[in-house]
Amino acid sequence: MKGAAVRVEHLTKVFPDGTRALDDVSFQVNPGDFMVVIGLSGSGKSTLMRCINRLIEPTAGKIFVDDVEVTALRPDELRALRRQIGMIFQQFNLVKRSSVLTNVLSGRLGYLPPTWALTNYFPRELKQRAMENLERVGIPEKAFTRADQLSGGQQQRVGIARALMQEPRLILADEPVASLDPATSHSVLKYIEELNKKDGITVLCALHFLSLARRYGTRLIALKAGRVVFTGYPHDIDEVRFREIYGEEAVEVEIA
Amino acid sequence: MAHETVSRPLPPTIPRPQTRPWTLALLVLGLAVIYAYGWKVTQIDIGQLMTNAHLIRPLVRDLIRPDVLTWVPRTQAASAPLSYAVEGAPATPPPATGPRLQLSASVAQPGQPLQIRGEGFAANRPGQLIWTDQSGSSARGTEFRTDAQGSFTLTLPVPQMIGTHHRVTAEVTLEGRQLRPSVAARLVFGRLVETVFLALMGTTLAVVFAVPVSFLAARNLMARSPVGTAVYYVVRTVLNIARSIEPLIMATVFAVWVGIGPFAGVLALALHSVASLGKLYSEQIESIDPGPIEAITATGASALQVIRYAVVPQIVPPFIAFTIYRWDINVRMSTVIGMVGGGGVGFLLLQFINLLQWQQAATAVWGITIVVAAMDYVSAVVRERVV
Repeated sequence: MKGAAVRVEHLTKVFPDGTRALDDVSFQVNPGDFMVVIGLSGSGKSTLMRCINRLIEPTAGKIFVDDVEVTALRPDELRALRRQIGMIFQQFNLVKRSSVLTNVLSGRLGYLPPTWALTNYFPRELKQRAMENLERVGIPEKAFTRADQLSGGQQQRVGIARALMQEPRLILADEPVASLDPATSHSVLKYIEELNKKDGITVLCALHFLSLARRYGTRLIALKAGRVVFTGYPHDIDEVRFREIYGEEAVEVEIA
Repeated sequence: MAHETVSRPLPPTIPRPQTRPWTLALLVLGLAVIYAYGWKVTQIDIGQLMTNAHLIRPLVRDLIRPDVLTWVPRTQAASAPLSYAVEGAPATPPPATGPRLQLSASVAQPGQPLQIRGEGFAANRPGQLIWTDQSGSSARGTEFRTDAQGSFTLTLPVPQMIGTHHRVTAEVTLEGRQLRPSVAARLVFGRLVETVFLALMGTTLAVVFAVPVSFLAARNLMARSPVGTAVYYVVRTVLNIARSIEPLIMATVFAVWVGIGPFAGVLALALHSVASLGKLYSEQIESIDPGPIEAITATGASALQVIRYAVVPQIVPPFIAFTIYRWDINVRMSTVIGMVGGGGVGFLLLQFINLLQWQQAATAVWGITIVVAAMDYVSAVVRERVV
């Protein structure tokens, strides 16, 4: 399966309180890209991610996933599109009191008849696939553990397995490793990289550390105060550009 | 954040204003006046604890020997039906072995002679006839003594009783005695069962109303529109007022309304529990984590699926925990609610105390203690499991 292409045109988001989170943002992600989004906290990375699957409604501008205009979809069409877009969160966003398996299975809900939810029914082959996806992220033995019993890295891997259940063509990863330690960060990003390289899933990933961006990203855009200030390749970010993005006082910190 | 290292100046420490000596003196004087008046108005008299200690002695003494079991003589009994009318007269054949009773006629009019023959009883023991009328109330009658074969024969006129279908029972007292629950213990047990169910019904009734009400009292759901905000404040205010009224006072009111009895207690507990559960539930709804809702929505799930997989797992376990906790509280509450006419064991306890039946009162006190402690333990265990 081929990864999806994303095209963002003149995207603007103004929140009700007047905050201009995104200001005329335009860029393009090619199928199979590992596109890294960098920028300070509050630069609009999260808003951008959430506009693409319309968890946040854009104020103006257009977003295309392949040739589908996301911004013009009706609610049922939007749900059908969301099924193809996996999302990974900084805080993992697992249902803490539910089992790991239920959390993974919930990634498939968009494909199932809603009434099945009343009896908590999942077909056997889906449970099997959920187990396979847990094996893929290396924690099959945790299937029946409550999600909040897992370490941060394990929880994020459950998040990846949940996204995998969607058989996504695009993964939106909103600072997936910002709550994790350096070693765990690498292990989580390697799983995401594997999905990108092996399955060809397009990845749009917000990251904080430039070293991680250079290591995993194939392309990069930088946001500053809701505007795109750089588009290109991770290795093109030099000292001068770095200061443009992060401000004059910033010092680059390496992550091992 | 690794890229920004900003050192902020510490906020300036505000110097504490010096407390002036005369302010302190005034404060101490004021407190002294308040407590002096408090001592006087509540009629505190430590000496009474000593001088009147003898008044409490029977209660304390009887607390360690509650009236739970009594020795009763061992008996054996047999009975037979007796009707005034042929119609509907039951025809139960007497057992072939063991104590049995035979009447010369199973249908007889009051005043007619009736021969009663008993067989298979213990030999040479005293016994007594018991007449049970249709309403179930019984009266003790003629005494007799069994012969060496364990039999007896009596001929006497049929007594006048209420209704048409009655029973004659012969009870023979055996040698020795046995331990049986006392009358007080049986009364207390019955009332304790009533108490637990009173609490259960009150809590259940409360849950039915508290769940919908709690959604109206959740700020994160309601405060999105002016109308919602208005509803939120109205519901919150009503809940706060309802919660501040003691269930005891509510029970008094309901006892006037629906009459003295457990139903008044159920209503009082339900109303108070709606208020407190509504608040606890709504706070749980307010503290719901939006992350899972966002994540499940992002998978393309429908609203129903989002509620089932992101909202329900977050609110149902705490709801259950709060509900069991409330039931626990209500069991405790309903032990005293009887004192104001709300049914349950409290009324019985009050009666025992008023009749100075300290041993029986002790039975009630122990019963309450055991039930409350057991509920407390069960609710703690269940809450631990659920949350």
